[in-house]
Amino acid sequence: MTELPCKLTLDQWDRRYDALVAGGLREPSYGGPLGRHVDDGNLRLCKLQMDDSPAALRLWNFLLSEEDRLADARRRGARLVGVLKDLGTVPVMAYSLDRVVAFYPDGAWWIPCVMEQSDGLLAIADRLGVDESFCPVRAMLGAFESQAHFPIPDLLIASVGATCDDLSAIAQRLEGMGHPIFWWEIPHRRPPEAGEDAVHLPGGCVAPAAQVAFVRDELERVRQCLARFAGQELTDARLAEGIGRANRVRRLLGQLRQMAYSAPAAPLPALEMLIAEMLAIHFCSDQNECMAVLGELVEEARRRERAGVGAVAPEAVRVFWLNPVADLRAMNVLEDAGGRVCGTEYLFSHALDPIDEDVPPTEALARSALADLMVGSPIDRAERVCRDMRAFGAEALVISRIPGASHCSLEGAIIGEVVRQRLGVPVVEVEVPPLTDAMEPTLRTRLEALVETVRDGRTP
Amino acid sequence: MNNVGYCSPFVPPEWIAAFGWSPRWLRPRAAGARDLATTHRGLCPFAGALVEQVIASEDLHAVVLTTACDPMRYGAAVLQARTDWPTFLFNLPSTWQSNAAGRLYCDELRRLGRFLVDLGGRSPSPDETRATFARYDAARGSVRDAWPVQSSRQYAEMVAAVRGEGRAHPRPSTVENATDGVPLALLGGPLVEEDLAILDALPQLGGRIVLDASEGGQRTLAAALPAEWPGDDPVEALRRAYFDAIPDVFRRPNDRLFEWLRPRLAARGARGILLRRHVFCDLWHAEIERIRQATGLPLIDLDMLHADAGAPAQAIGRIEAFLEMLRGGRWLVARG
Ligand code: SF4
Repeated sequence: MTELPCKLTLDQWDRRYDALVAGGLREPSYGGPLGRHVDDGNLRLCKLQMDDSPAALRLWNFLLSEEDRLADARRRGARLVGVLKDLGTVPVMAYSLDRVVAFYPDGAWWIPCVMEQSDGLLAIADRLGVDESFCPVRAMLGAFESQAHFPIPDLLIASVGATCDDLSAIAQRLEGMGHPIFWWEIPHRRPPEAGEDAVHLPGGCVAPAAQVAFVRDELERVRQCLARFAGQELTDARLAEGIGRANRVRRLLGQLRQMAYSAPAAPLPALEMLIAEMLAIHFCSDQNECMAVLGELVEEARRRERAGVGAVAPEAVRVFWLNPVADLRAMNVLEDAGGRVCGTEYLFSHALDPIDEDVPPTEALARSALADLMVGSPIDRAERVCRDMRAFGAEALVISRIPGASHCSLEGAIIGEVVRQRLGVPVVEVEVPPLTDAMEPTLRTRLEALVETVRDGRTP
Repeated sequence: MNNVGYCSPFVPPEWIAAFGWSPRWLRPRAAGARDLATTHRGLCPFAGALVEQVIASEDLHAVVLTTACDPMRYGAAVLQARTDWPTFLFNLPSTWQSNAAGRLYCDELRRLGRFLVDLGGRSPSPDETRATFARYDAARGSVRDAWPVQSSRQYAEMVAAVRGEGRAHPRPSTVENATDGVPLALLGGPLVEEDLAILDALPQLGGRIVLDASEGGQRTLAAALPAEWPGDDPVEALRRAYFDAIPDVFRRPNDRLFEWLRPRLAARGARGILLRRHVFCDLWHAEIERIRQATGLPLIDLDMLHADAGAPAQAIGRIEAFLEMLRGGRWLVARG
């Protein structure tokens, strides 16, 4: 008989952990009971419900051991690159080099949630004049100032141009605080003019060939910068291998997403899927281990799918989720309210779409960077959302506002209008702060109302 | 109705004019804005008011916005999604240190030219272009160092006229109040109509503006156009005067803003800074601490929302207190 998947609280997980170990569980070096992460300050774990599979255990341990991994990499002589904003392109280049580890300091975005603000990062940002009118990425400023989280990178590379103001403004402050930045330009993706050469990008958008060429030149500058930094030539052959490895990660995620978002009963919960998707952007600082973690999740999802069991009830309402949530708990709340995630656009769909392998590597990376839905019109983003909603059979759209984010004031209205018009499905816009505790009843009520609306509209 | 509206100092009005259109520098009224500006939390009120002004406008034919900030980028998307307004979104690079960034700026000017022709404009001959450029260049020259002036409003109007039809201004002969009051610099983003009324009140409060470094002011006036156009290309000439020369907060890195500011603050004897920034404008907001440190001058952060009825009176009250502190030399105590 197949055990039914379930979600566990932290205490339940630690008891299950003991049982798994007694049963012969084999773990990687960063393994261990999840409860120990609470001692490191990751208090939010106490409020989450997590999938009960050993694959999920490994995923959580991989995620929560990243700061140690970075510190360890530096001790072992690796050089650290902090990549800002492009979400998925420059790390592919950096991981093509030996002894270089790249990560996104922007990931500090989640520290106030995971540590339930015991980290004090937002208070430091406040003191530096960067208050709650900015998105949670301001925690990064606090992390650079306190130097108490990730190791300060040896090199910082930031994409600017058609990127959000929050990140651009905070990156400039970082430079002003004495952290030099290599800036590169990502232009706003525009539709090709009549008669202009056009290139089809991964993910379905189209861009003028001239813009792709521009980004390719910018990435050539990045390539030279990285090669100088690493004291090693970043050849096309190396880049091609790096792209191949990144694509293995992306394909694993593709399989996982396909199963999780289209199976009649979701084989994995939304929370673990959010974390799995996040691995795509910089592999959580270890590309090989990232593949192993994802491989195990794919196996688990496949096993559950074959057995016809799911982590969420089969009648759950199929929701497409737009934007990452500042509080991970929101993903639990959706499922408690009777929904399940069937498709996502967490600001980095371009890091999930495989990179072209049949063109020169910088051309391929330029196409991937320009496919970023955030560098184009929100109308393009809405169209991608519509396509993916159709593909995954999503019945509703949740637009999750990120407090303070410069793009959130208007994008929700534009995307919501397009989705309503094209698909005729209900759309709800909710704001998710780093800690939702105080407004959880409101969030739950709004999601329940959405679920009810969809259920009422279902044909019997 | 051949007006083409714009609000970025990086868009050269002479380029719009050369194609047979009348450029119009847009300075919206914030208080009238209701829909976008007030219903979308987190939206810069300037961008909201501007988009609404464009939608309601009866004397504009098209609008040119830029990608310098998110609110404008998304504002352009609102115009495209909800209206059939001809909207040109100018890809304005944030970086400037690479040649490629300058080339992108030039390509965007050429694309703007094609847009203006498609709109019904004409392709200018080289002679027409030269004549138009010369007119605007001279007009800019007439206001670049036109200081002191009677009032900040007068200066703002003069510069707006230069950015509009390229009208040159004789240097003002009367300079009442020009030497009274605590000298202040006006710095920050674009002004809305209502800001001018607040600046009008300055002399009564005992202050005066000696440097207008707001988005529409002196800081963002293009440099003189080169006499010889590089490669005989008008677009290259515009690049030199605009893209290579204008310091702004969104540029990465933006050190040139500080390089521009420091000597001018000293030369004009500014004793304090009025920083006009719109609520939710991250780009200016994040720089406030750096501006304070870099200039060593006291600064007041004016983030008033004119949609609130009490905003002007509150702003005036704050400026009055600021001036009082400056006059009494009590700034450090007050801040501490
Ligand atoms: S959440 Fe939005 S505003 Fe914040 S850093 Fe990410 S993309 Fe930028």
